[in-house]
Amino acid sequence: MFVVVTVALLVTMGLALARAIVGPTLYDRILAVNTFGTKTVLLIAVYGYLTERPDFVDIALVYALINFIGTVAVLKFFESGEFAHSWRERRERVEAGDTGDDD
Amino acid sequence: MEHHPVVRVAAKILIPPILLFALYVQFHGDFGPGGGFQAGVIFGAAIILYGLVFGLKATQSVIPPQVASILTAVGVLLYAGVGVWSVMLGGNFLDYNALDSHDPVHGQHVGILIIELGVGITVAAVMIVLFYGFAGYLRDHD
Repeated sequence: MFVVVTVALLVTMGLALARAIVGPTLYDRILAVNTFGTKTVLLIAVYGYLTERPDFVDIALVYALINFIGTVAVLKFFESGEFAHSWRERRERVEAGDTGDDD
Repeated sequence: MEHHPVVRVAAKILIPPILLFALYVQFHGDFGPGGGFQAGVIFGAAIILYGLVFGLKATQSVIPPQVASILTAVGVLLYAGVGVWSVMLGGNFLDYNALDSHDPVHGQHVGILIIELGVGITVAAVMIVLFYGFAGYLRDHD
């Protein structure tokens, strides 16, 4: 049963990867990569039970966490082009007339 | 630019369990997958998530850059200190058996625990220092 689930997950990951390569917009790619990461989490967990090593659930948890932080980082970078300021600080700067593009 | 409440609330909910999970990976490393390096990376990732959502200034008020720099050395000192300690007790460098003269297994437990703690502290501090360095660099050239 776990073998079927593993194969189905691999097919889904292939489809997500195809979407990430084809695009066409940035957000398609980010969503596809995020989906790919989520499927990887599931794959690690299922593979752990397939090989009778349930310890893999710990690794799947870590992968989910890194996937979330990576997606937040990529989205923030493409929205504001930097990591130093929070969204609130950046909005206050924009309202104060400092676009951050000078210099 | 909006507030992005979903990201902010999700980060606020997630960061404490992430820190707790880092400690679990650190101290449960004897029995399952994990250890000092992985725990340090998870701990550093939690701080980096805080920095991404709440800004560099807020993060540096939680963990000042000087403290992070010092912690990178403290971990290595802990590691080397256990080695020197075992030499002073009459064993080889990093010979955990020498740490407890009555029960070598207990000595190995203590030695591994302290060494992994040192690795974890150093890795977490280096991750935080790297984030400070790169985030600050981008801000200067904004």
